[in-house]
Amino acid sequence: MKKIKLLLAALVLGFTTQINAQSAEEIIETYFENTGGTENWMKVEGMKMSAKVNQGGMEIPLEIYQFKNGKQMTIINFQGKEIKQGVFDGEVLWSTNFMTQKAEKSDAESTANFKIQSQDFPDAFTNYKEKGYTVEKLENEEIDGTECFKLKLTKTPLTVDGKQEENVSFYFFDTENFVPIAVHAEIKAGPMKGQMSESKMSDYQEVDGLYFPFSMTQGIKGQPGQPITIDKIEINPTVDAAAFKFPEETATDSKDKN
Amino acid sequence: MKKLFFSMLVCAGVLSTINAQDKPIELQKYFGDLTARHIGPALMSGRIIDMESHPTNARIVYAGTAGGGVWKSNDAGTTFNPIFDDYCQSIGAVEVDPNNPDNVIYVGTGETWTRNSVSIGDGLYKSNDGGTTWNKLGFEKSERIANIIVNPKNSNEVYVAILGALWSDSEERGVYKTTDGGQTWNKVLYVDQTTGCADLAMDPNDPNTLYASMWEFRRTGWSFNSGGDKSALYKSTDGGATWNKIHNGFPEGKLGRLAIAVAPSDSNILYTVIEAEEDTKKGLYRSDDAGANWKQLNNDFGITVRPFYFSRIVVDPRNPDVVVKGGLSGSISRDGGKTFRNLGNMHSDIHDIIFDINDSDRMYVGTDGGVYRSWNGGTTMEIVENLPLSQFYHISVDDAEPYNVYGGLQDNGSWYGPSSSGGGISARDWNSIGGGDGFRVLKHPTKNIIYSEMQGAENVWRFDAENKLVKTIQPLPQKGYAKLRFNWNAPMAVSAHQPDRFYMGSQFLHKSEDMGDTWKIISPDLTTNDPAKQQQEDSGGLSMDNSGAENHTTIFTIAESTLDENIIWVGTDDGNVQVTKDGGKTWTNTTPNIPGLPANTWCYHIEASVHGKGTAYAVFDGHTSGDMKAYAYKTTDYGQTWTNIITDDVEIFARNIQEDYVNPDLLFLGTEFGLYITIDGGKQWAKFTNNMPATAVHFIDLQKRTNDLVMGTHGRGVIIIDDISPLRQINKDAMAKKLHFFESKVAEMNDNSGSFGNGFGAETQFVGRNPSTAAQIKYLLPKRHTFGKMTLEIQDMDGNKIASLGPGKSKGINIVNWGYRMKQPKVAKGKTFSFGGFTAPRVPAGSYKAVIKKGRDTFEHTFKVAYDKSSGLSDADRKLKHNTTMKMYDMTQELAYMVYELDAIIEATTKKKTKEALNSLKETLVITTGDNYVGSAEPQLREKMADLYAKIAGSYDKPSNAELESLSIIEERFEKAKVDFAKLKKKAKATLELKSFEAFVNE
Repeated sequence: MKKIKLLLAALVLGFTTQINAQSAEEIIETYFENTGGTENWMKVEGMKMSAKVNQGGMEIPLEIYQFKNGKQMTIINFQGKEIKQGVFDGEVLWSTNFMTQKAEKSDAESTANFKIQSQDFPDAFTNYKEKGYTVEKLENEEIDGTECFKLKLTKTPLTVDGKQEENVSFYFFDTENFVPIAVHAEIKAGPMKGQMSESKMSDYQEVDGLYFPFSMTQGIKGQPGQPITIDKIEINPTVDAAAFKFPEETATDSKDKN
Repeated sequence: MKKLFFSMLVCAGVLSTINAQDKPIELQKYFGDLTARHIGPALMSGRIIDMESHPTNARIVYAGTAGGGVWKSNDAGTTFNPIFDDYCQSIGAVEVDPNNPDNVIYVGTGETWTRNSVSIGDGLYKSNDGGTTWNKLGFEKSERIANIIVNPKNSNEVYVAILGALWSDSEERGVYKTTDGGQTWNKVLYVDQTTGCADLAMDPNDPNTLYASMWEFRRTGWSFNSGGDKSALYKSTDGGATWNKIHNGFPEGKLGRLAIAVAPSDSNILYTVIEAEEDTKKGLYRSDDAGANWKQLNNDFGITVRPFYFSRIVVDPRNPDVVVKGGLSGSISRDGGKTFRNLGNMHSDIHDIIFDINDSDRMYVGTDGGVYRSWNGGTTMEIVENLPLSQFYHISVDDAEPYNVYGGLQDNGSWYGPSSSGGGISARDWNSIGGGDGFRVLKHPTKNIIYSEMQGAENVWRFDAENKLVKTIQPLPQKGYAKLRFNWNAPMAVSAHQPDRFYMGSQFLHKSEDMGDTWKIISPDLTTNDPAKQQQEDSGGLSMDNSGAENHTTIFTIAESTLDENIIWVGTDDGNVQVTKDGGKTWTNTTPNIPGLPANTWCYHIEASVHGKGTAYAVFDGHTSGDMKAYAYKTTDYGQTWTNIITDDVEIFARNIQEDYVNPDLLFLGTEFGLYITIDGGKQWAKFTNNMPATAVHFIDLQKRTNDLVMGTHGRGVIIIDDISPLRQINKDAMAKKLHFFESKVAEMNDNSGSFGNGFGAETQFVGRNPSTAAQIKYLLPKRHTFGKMTLEIQDMDGNKIASLGPGKSKGINIVNWGYRMKQPKVAKGKTFSFGGFTAPRVPAGSYKAVIKKGRDTFEHTFKVAYDKSSGLSDADRKLKHNTTMKMYDMTQELAYMVYELDAIIEATTKKKTKEALNSLKETLVITTGDNYVGSAEPQLREKMADLYAKIAGSYDKPSNAELESLSIIEERFEKAKVDFAKLKKKAKATLELKSFEAFVNE
């Protein structure tokens, strides 16, 4: 509450005066304070997001599950059928193959990298020091015509095509309210390797005392992105752990085989 | 507490909105979603200056380019990505710190192959994160940096070779050294203000031993001089503290540009290429005692050609006798420099070569036409296909649909290509329309004729594109007139009044009324005709270089007023702005009326305004006399008075201006470091950086139908900003609103599907992005939306929801695309997907509303959607198509609900027989076995229905008779299924709690 009052005072007096005095640590602290408080963020064990993307006129509903213990899953609903993508039970990463509708494991490198990235829950900046991440404040930049603090976040290195690579992303915190409105990160793998990805966040709204962006746009920096609209966020949802397990093929499936 | 926080944010928003009204508009913050798109071409790429490898990771290669920045490959040169877009795009040198190669990279800006058309640099940059972010380390006035060398044993010790200014004296030249990683620098070798360091080498086995070649050189707009008494080769053995000339065995007299290389595998073996007074003494020299003595080995053409352009020697890192020399074709020796043969076929003009760190058979070569790879030691070469580095001198557009872009390229001829093409604009979309160096290319206003030219108007081509007939039409010497002097980049112009009229400029203005068959001179010599600037045969210095590139005292720009054909403006390279109001009978030189313009400053462009007969803009470029300031002026009285329209916002010299055809205060300025825009007639300029690199913009055109701003850049090809019309509407009234919708034209639903299979072979190619064909909702926000809900719905005029879209949240211009489609139908659940069911139908033409809800406010904007006129369908055809599509859409959803009900009954009923009967019915309704690929089962009613629906909805045409007949079969089958289902439903007598149809289809 104290922080909020201070911030309010700063807003009224003209917030630009204090912009450059902020250290990276203060920015992160203020971000958590403004979005519900670090303590409350630490209580988050899991999240379920119900979202929509629109591709070429086709509306695709998504359900995204993320848990502190690394479990993750995205469920896409097509024509009443559930397709699971990016399912991780803490050890095995798998997805449903679109053609056969059967589960298939991801390659070992992707799985190892996914495990590393799953430390980001509920937010890359929660306990970032304990996670071994480092943060550096760079010069302010404008995003969407808005003055932003630019923080460079260096996380646990990833392994790409057999070589270890630095895992860096750049966060842009709105200097007015200290929430991130964009993230830039170099694409590390695949044919787009070397290009810069851009995610933009907006529509921050409150859920159980915490603020989350309900709208995101993802794409390549400098090009129009793909918007994702989040309809609902549930904190600490209950999900059957079996939903994350890689389904080993069983004999009963043979009925469907041609 | 959260409520308080939220209301505070709202409060802050209001405050900043109020503040905004008192201040001038900071346009740069309002560009929002207005974004540049790049269309290449990349097939001929552009000039490469310096190649650099990573010392331990063979997958990583860097290319520093003449005008397109720095590119990094992560896949051993298969593809490259730009990593330096925000900074000066003219590159002299790229260096990877050998002690920290994953992170530390230096870039020296300003290319060093000093041809007439080179751009300039603005200092030295360093990245500590592999090229993601950059810091400038100074040397702002260095103009060109030739080498950067990091001590392989100490990252803090770095040497920088500064060639320096090309067109003026400068003291920022020579060799500089830092011992603290670039914080402070000492000038360790300096000769004088005319002599710079052209090449620097370090003994890889002894970082204290350095070799520096110093070069005396100077260019003007009309001459070039290479060589003098001060050119020399120096050696230091104490880390740059002292330097001695090492000329034992060198030719006598003046020296020109020298290249120097140390064999990485033997520190005693050095190679240098010498530009000397006597031809016989020029060429390759070798030392086997670390520079104490030199011996001439070879003075073949390939070794001595154009030293200012090709002074680079590279020695194989594993074999001191394998030597490669840049040149017209590039030369390789395998006997220690005694004999050479050409490198394999590739684009001519080879500037740099690197060997793979592990395998000398693998080479990368930088040319005037991009980067080439070799797998067999330079014998066969393959081009990198995704480097869109084309260097345009000029571009123009036509009014075709889609419009084409025409232009000429440095050393790469003339081309035209479409602004949009199926699957994106790829190499195959571009058409060659002239050889040599290409400059201006103009489309005949009405006929299928294209004019193009090569350097100095040696050839001006009139190409009949329909019949593929080509004819040269350049003005020839005329009785009673002096010898014609054409600029290297000779001006041409067509007329808005007489389609067959064609102008060319030498020192005279030439006019043809029959497309170049007959020429008439309609002016006196409009230049200063200064004989001191007409001695091109003496140009070059120690190596004669009379390419025509230095031709001077010529006309450079011609503009006939679109309002009055008798008003013609002419600008010359020696600073004259001449105007006639009577079609050339009398001319007035208005240059004395231009305040603050240094004498003889090159008039690069005149734009005759559409907003008034006496109104024109003139842009002047003084960089060829060392003046890097921008000059642009406006007149409204035929040049009697001129007003400066440049402010301090513009950081560097400009070459071109484009006015808007609607808003006279909206202007676009092409500068050496990117595009600037003003919305107040030049009182303030804002740099446009949304996907727009800081590349040299040589020419700008505005396509009248689309309002697309099309830029010819000298290093990044053609760059387009689609539809700049929102910029016309940005003003304080619009910005005072909470949300302002921009007026938009009628959105046409394009029926053109593009072409089949345009992606073949494009995996590693550059493919230019197409413009959006969607309806675009454009609005202005005074502040970014970050907190609270904001939604955008498309509704019909009765307020029924058709689609929900993700709205833009940026401060300034937001652009949201809507593909004219409603939601796809709800499809019955089966074992596999019904791919037809993924089709979303298009809406009928008419008026629609965009409804934005932001916080408690609702904003509405009505816009029109029209059918594509070119596909030839009548209103009745459109109606039939829409009604049939929607009938099938409804049927698909009805079937979906039926299967939903049926599944529920199967679940609920206890009667075994009924269950079986229901299951058999279901097997005829949807696929219940198989997969989505080759294991797919026989299609059932759902699949047949959805596939026909998709076929009809996806066609541009009205439904065919065959389709309608197929529909009637499906309808019959569906009717029968409904009857069967009703019977079974009755039998089952299950009590169910079902969703309503409405709830089901909208879930």
